[in-house]
Amino acid sequence: MAKSKFTVEVLTPEGEVFKDEVEMLSTRTSVGSIGVLAHHQPLLAMLDPTELRLYRSDSDIVRFAQGEGYLQVADNHALVLVEEAHEPGELNGSDLQERLRKAEQALSDAEEGSEAERAAQRDKRRWEAFLRISGTSAE
Amino acid sequence: MASQRDVKNRIASIKNIEKITRAMQMVAAARLRRAEQRIAALRPYAGAIRRMTRQAAEAADNVPSLPILKEHDSINTVGILLVTGDRGLAGAFNSQIIRAGLRAAAQHEAAGRSVVYFASGRRGVSTLKFRKKDPIGEWVGFTDRPAYGDARAIAEGVMTAYVDGEVDQVEIFYNGYVSALTQEVRRETLLPLQQATILDESDEDVDEDDKQSRSLVEYEPDPEEILARLVPDYVEISIFRALLESTASEHGARMTAMRNASENASDLIDDYTLEMNRARQADITQEIMEVVAGAESLT
Repeated sequence: MAKSKFTVEVLTPEGEVFKDEVEMLSTRTSVGSIGVLAHHQPLLAMLDPTELRLYRSDSDIVRFAQGEGYLQVADNHALVLVEEAHEPGELNGSDLQERLRKAEQALSDAEEGSEAERAAQRDKRRWEAFLRISGTSAE
Repeated sequence: MASQRDVKNRIASIKNIEKITRAMQMVAAARLRRAEQRIAALRPYAGAIRRMTRQAAEAADNVPSLPILKEHDSINTVGILLVTGDRGLAGAFNSQIIRAGLRAAAQHEAAGRSVVYFASGRRGVSTLKFRKKDPIGEWVGFTDRPAYGDARAIAEGVMTAYVDGEVDQVEIFYNGYVSALTQEVRRETLLPLQQATILDESDEDVDEDDKQSRSLVEYEPDPEEILARLVPDYVEISIFRALLESTASEHGARMTAMRNASENASDLIDDYTLEMNRARQADITQEIMEVVAGAESLT
């Protein structure tokens, strides 16, 4: 039996990248992985870099590499606000490796407990997550 | 008077320059349209972030005292962020930003505060270095098409400097986009961030339904922690908007500058063509005079 659907909107500073009805949304908040079905209770969550999956049906899945952002669910409508959303095919492995290397460099240069250290850690986590996503899609 | 060949060469080179300036004008016009669209695309995102912040702030009872919201006790060092382009040939686009930044720096220095610079765009970086005012943060290579990641990098740079106490205030200077023909230098204070700008409710009405549903909202993690990340986003969005407006302004300024250059080139071509015709006519007259004089001497 078809599951009931709800609308999902994915917004980035570059504009809207996705708006459609889906059965399930799967992503990761700063607390842990989360799956959202239709009629979910109102929610406001903070998202970490990971692979965002939008299940139009069990077999039709739209994937994005998402940066940091937020998820808001209200009135059977989910709004995903992320700084970046790329289709896995757009990711460039060597470019990401380079960015990861720079972030690691910045991390080792940064003083302990400084704001620079936290920023570098955030960058490192993001590029690591993106690298993982680009790796799986290359297979 | 210049010889015919000299004038002819000059006309040919001006024609070549005109071709280049016309091409640049057309490229700038096409890019301007795209840059305008990107400014419009940012608006829904910025609006959604603002609504979400307000919702979280209401749930959290009070806005947590984040380091970037806290004013430093005294302002000893001011950071000046100049948003320029990577390339020139855009009229006063780059120089007016640098001039405004240096003027503000002189004012701060007269008031006994020291100034440090941040610069985005090759033009700003190289001018500052030339004047022996090396920027402590520089970001180049993206001004044709800035990505959100570029804004994030700049925001991290200035926020880090602020939180770690290297600067006590940060001002941004950029070309605000008014229209294709008009750009204005804008000067804004980025840090410390004012709570008022975050919780500004004037632009939107909050209806009752909204308020009721809020009490049932599940937060993951606490609203306080969500706010702690939403607030720095304001700085990122402000910088991203400045970058986008600056890019649109750059294309607008280049379009105007190149149109003026093309018009100048046509004027010059007209003038030189006239001069060439005159030179040719003078040659012909001279020859006729010689022929006539020769014929006369025979009779």
